Amino acid sequence: MNFKKIVVIGAGTMGSGIAQWFAQQNCFVELVDNSEEQLKKALSGIHLSWGKLLEKNKLTPAQVDQYKKFLTINSIERVSRDTDLVVEAIIENLDIKKDLFQKLDQYFAPHTILSSNTSSFPISLMAEAVSKERKNRFLGLHFFNPATIMKLVEVIKGEHTDDQLCQDLYQWFENKDKKPALCKDFPGFIVNRVARNFYGEPLRIAEEEDEAKMREIDQILKEVGGFKMGPFELMDLIGIDVNYSVTCSVWEAYSKEPRFAPHKLQKQMVDEKRFGRKSKRGFYTYD
Amino acid sequence: MTNLKFKNTLIHFGFSTKEEVKHILETNPDRDIYLDLTCYDPNEFYRAYPQLKGSFSALFCDEEKKIEVHLRNKNPEILEKFKELGFKPFETSFVSCGFIFPRTIVQIINEAYFALEEEVASQTDIDRAMKFGVNYPKGPFEWSKGRERYVLALLNELLLKTQDKRYLPSKLIQI
Repeated sequence: MNFKKIVVIGAGTMGSGIAQWFAQQNCFVELVDNSEEQLKKALSGIHLSWGKLLEKNKLTPAQVDQYKKFLTINSIERVSRDTDLVVEAIIENLDIKKDLFQKLDQYFAPHTILSSNTSSFPISLMAEAVSKERKNRFLGLHFFNPATIMKLVEVIKGEHTDDQLCQDLYQWFENKDKKPALCKDFPGFIVNRVARNFYGEPLRIAEEEDEAKMREIDQILKEVGGFKMGPFELMDLIGIDVNYSVTCSVWEAYSKEPRFAPHKLQKQMVDEKRFGRKSKRGFYTYD
Repeated sequence: MTNLKFKNTLIHFGFSTKEEVKHILETNPDRDIYLDLTCYDPNEFYRAYPQLKGSFSALFCDEEKKIEVHLRNKNPEILEKFKELGFKPFETSFVSCGFIFPRTIVQIINEAYFALEEEVASQTDIDRAMKFGVNYPKGPFEWSKGRERYVLALLNELLLKTQDKRYLPSKLIQI
């Protein structure tokens, strides 16, 4: 498997990170967004990032020049039809994604692989939007933020995705120093499912809102458990609203299985608009 | 299982059934006792046995030997003793069933076993996903290797105490 041309759709945080990473693998990348302003902002951000890496001697001037040539911005109407792989990283809205994939299916060459970076929607549900011929070349490629640094890519096999295609992609990412994980199309895939209890269980250990207890739990999980951040400070960083929404989404998807049930404090804090760092009030307060 | 006796003190390491815990406490009424109660709620024993002066959780510690220690009364000598034995004790101000790290980690491990049971991914890929997607220091299966018995014991204890089905163990962890 060899990717010459990649199209990344969506120039938000994830899309630009994914585009930057692919360019750093010497792939020709076209970053696409329906907002020209967003595209320019993303490109300028990526160039700035490469500039910083150059300053730190992590990249050579020749590499930066090369990467800049590899990465371009484009509109969806003018993007190369014969691209090898498309990675969709737009807003998490199923209807909008399905509508987009229907158009992409008609636009791109038969050999083009279509993938989604979704963290919440079933791949097989999105694959309903594409033709029968494309279904076996449709899968999930879930990157983690920041995509240039985090090694994991969840390679998600949909109901009709070709087995060999998944294996080939797994190997390709492995060869590019990513750490792929092959998984089936279950809600939350691997990480968003297995990580739920890193938040849910400490909330139950604390029982109720008690800052001193929460600080102690954070401290112990870092010191004894070796986690880089404690669950409460991490929820504050992610956004309590975002974390609560993911928890509810996984819980609903597993028919309200008790293991995934949100804690009452999460809802209470969202209702009180205590979202964490971004609202300066969460489990902790921030100046 | 290891016992360390010094002065009038007994520190007992290793997994014990509840009956064994009671036996240790009842056969040493005049000693100051410190027990590894990783899989239980120490408060349950504190209430009945005043000679139980503290508890700790060493069943999930790795080569770094970091453990949670809960003392009913301040006792720097005990913390020093743990250090002499090569442990890095972290004293907690409160304790509940499964302490903090073991209780959190067994739930993560249990979910990983459920995912494996449903064939979501392989053990290797689940471990890899958690380490490289969310920077966990170890994968859930790496954590549980050789400790499945303790994972199951703690889940069962949490289920018994809370009657909450979130602690139901996966079938695979029971095998």
